[in-house]
Amino acid sequence: MSFLRRHPALPAGLLFAIGLLGAPLVAERGTLNDLWNVAFAVVLASAWNLLGGFAGQVSLGYSAFVGIGAYTTVLLSLAGWNPTLTLPIGALLAVAFSVAVGLPTFRLRGPYFTIATIGVGEAVRVIASGVDFTGGASGLRMPPGTFDFTSNYYSIVILALFTVALCAWLSQHAFGLALEAIRQDIDAAEALGVSSTRMKLEAHAISAALVALAGGLFAINFQYISPSNVFDFRLSLSIVLMPIVGGMGTVVGPVLGAILFSYLQIKLLASPALRDSYLFIYGGLLIAVMLFEPRGMVGLWERLVRKLPRWRAPRTAEPHRA
Amino acid sequence: MQKLVVVALNSLLAAGLYATMSYGLAVIYGVMRIINLAHAGLMMLAAYTTFALNDRFGLDPFLSIVIVAPLFFLIGMGLYGTLVRRLPRSAAGPSIQSLLLLFGVWLVLQNLAYAIWGGDTQSILTPYTMQSVRAFGEGFGVPQILVFGVSILSLVALNLVLRKTYLGKAIRAVTENRDAAMLSGVNAGRIAAVAFGLGTAFAAIAGSMLSTLYAFTPDFGRSFLLKAFCIIVLGGMESFTGVAVGALVLALIENFASAYTSIPVSFQDAISFTLLVVVLVAAPRGLPGLWRALDRRLVAR
Repeated sequence: MSFLRRHPALPAGLLFAIGLLGAPLVAERGTLNDLWNVAFAVVLASAWNLLGGFAGQVSLGYSAFVGIGAYTTVLLSLAGWNPTLTLPIGALLAVAFSVAVGLPTFRLRGPYFTIATIGVGEAVRVIASGVDFTGGASGLRMPPGTFDFTSNYYSIVILALFTVALCAWLSQHAFGLALEAIRQDIDAAEALGVSSTRMKLEAHAISAALVALAGGLFAINFQYISPSNVFDFRLSLSIVLMPIVGGMGTVVGPVLGAILFSYLQIKLLASPALRDSYLFIYGGLLIAVMLFEPRGMVGLWERLVRKLPRWRAPRTAEPHRA
Repeated sequence: MQKLVVVALNSLLAAGLYATMSYGLAVIYGVMRIINLAHAGLMMLAAYTTFALNDRFGLDPFLSIVIVAPLFFLIGMGLYGTLVRRLPRSAAGPSIQSLLLLFGVWLVLQNLAYAIWGGDTQSILTPYTMQSVRAFGEGFGVPQILVFGVSILSLVALNLVLRKTYLGKAIRAVTENRDAAMLSGVNAGRIAAVAFGLGTAFAAIAGSMLSTLYAFTPDFGRSFLLKAFCIIVLGGMESFTGVAVGALVLALIENFASAYTSIPVSFQDAISFTLLVVVLVAAPRGLPGLWRALDRRLVAR
């Protein structure tokens, strides 16, 4: 049982995974579409969390990676490629872009890095809307006959599970600990021999690749993309909000945030009154989290557990991470 | 030659507006070490307030500044009192937490504008919107000239307040050294509230003037926020002259790039965003830092 106590979220996570994988056997198409969105959100949130949460480098430019993945898939598919084969190419391009952006901007710290990423994201969006090959404002459509929902569903679910498992694994190993050290005190981490720029570049590259893969699957699933839906600032925004509301720097937090946000989004799209107030909800959540519980839902949960009477086994002195 | 003069004059006109919108950001950064991401939302909201005053009462957008600026001063004080004050203070520099909190405020302001005015593009038409003054064989828009005039006026006023009044001296003292200012009896908390109000008021002045030049939606202001940030980094983050020089440099680069290179107009914003990243990385201490480095090298020789 000590294993379970060290990983309290593991049973819930396994149940969640089995539920996602088994859903096509029982659920209807509408529900599966919603679950597709949940899995997509989980990939984006967990991948962002590698750099933003673990290493504390808050980037507001992640829609660029979704866009690179989605456009690579559409453009190569239009050129006659098998869409599945385009996914790794998109991931590679995203890695290259992440390094190109990271090399200069990782010299900046804290909020300066964040502002620079808004600049990069906006520059990419402005350029993508202006050049011809992105289809400009009218966007691009995938070639017909490239869509099979079941295989696309399994691809995004497996990608989501892989992303979360990777984050969980990394958080327990030297790489994750080095990122954590960078977040807590970058100078101290450097002094202890952590090559901070290299670590940040690696975390950026891994998360860029994962996000680009999700972007490619997004293009296949929706069959249509345009600069205003994949390079949108609002996409960057929700990528950041999910892990923050769920709990930055934890493995479970981004998953919780992604589930909450997908649920909200489905509810919001269903009701016209709420659809016009999603920015109130996003902004309000952000303000509330920053003022009251910077560790988000995970922090709230831990606070709750601490308040409960001691019916659980006495905990070890070291507070374990969820 | 004539083209050169015209482009330079256009840059100067733009620089006045750029400086006004950057001072709000610089004052708040100086006193509190906070990057006010809500700046864009406040500019947008001021543009809409100006629009509403013009639409309802036929008030001239430039005259409405007299109402809008004090109103937003109070809004800024209110924001500080309810939200910003509660943030833990970080001595080292701006915290991600403050950035994200104000980002949340920006989103709420956007939604407020959507709820009140809807998502349609709005603009303000005045009798002089289309008029221009001819000089050097080229027309200069009357709104642009008025914007420049009001910018200079408000900057002179700000400078007088900062140099001559107790309040201004206290603001400058807290900017330079918060602890020393507090030891000399400055109430840093109250100064921070006033500075936040002042910064918000300057965002509002800039927003009112922007509404006479551009059409706007609730999403308006992001590119101007990035430009303002680029300017205060260029200016060395907290110096009054630095901001003015930074505004002029950005305006010159933008105008000369569009006049003398073949970069299409739709990419113009990308110039300043790229410049922002380049400046942040290559000259994080801005032009004053570059100047000092150059000076040291010359002296060493």
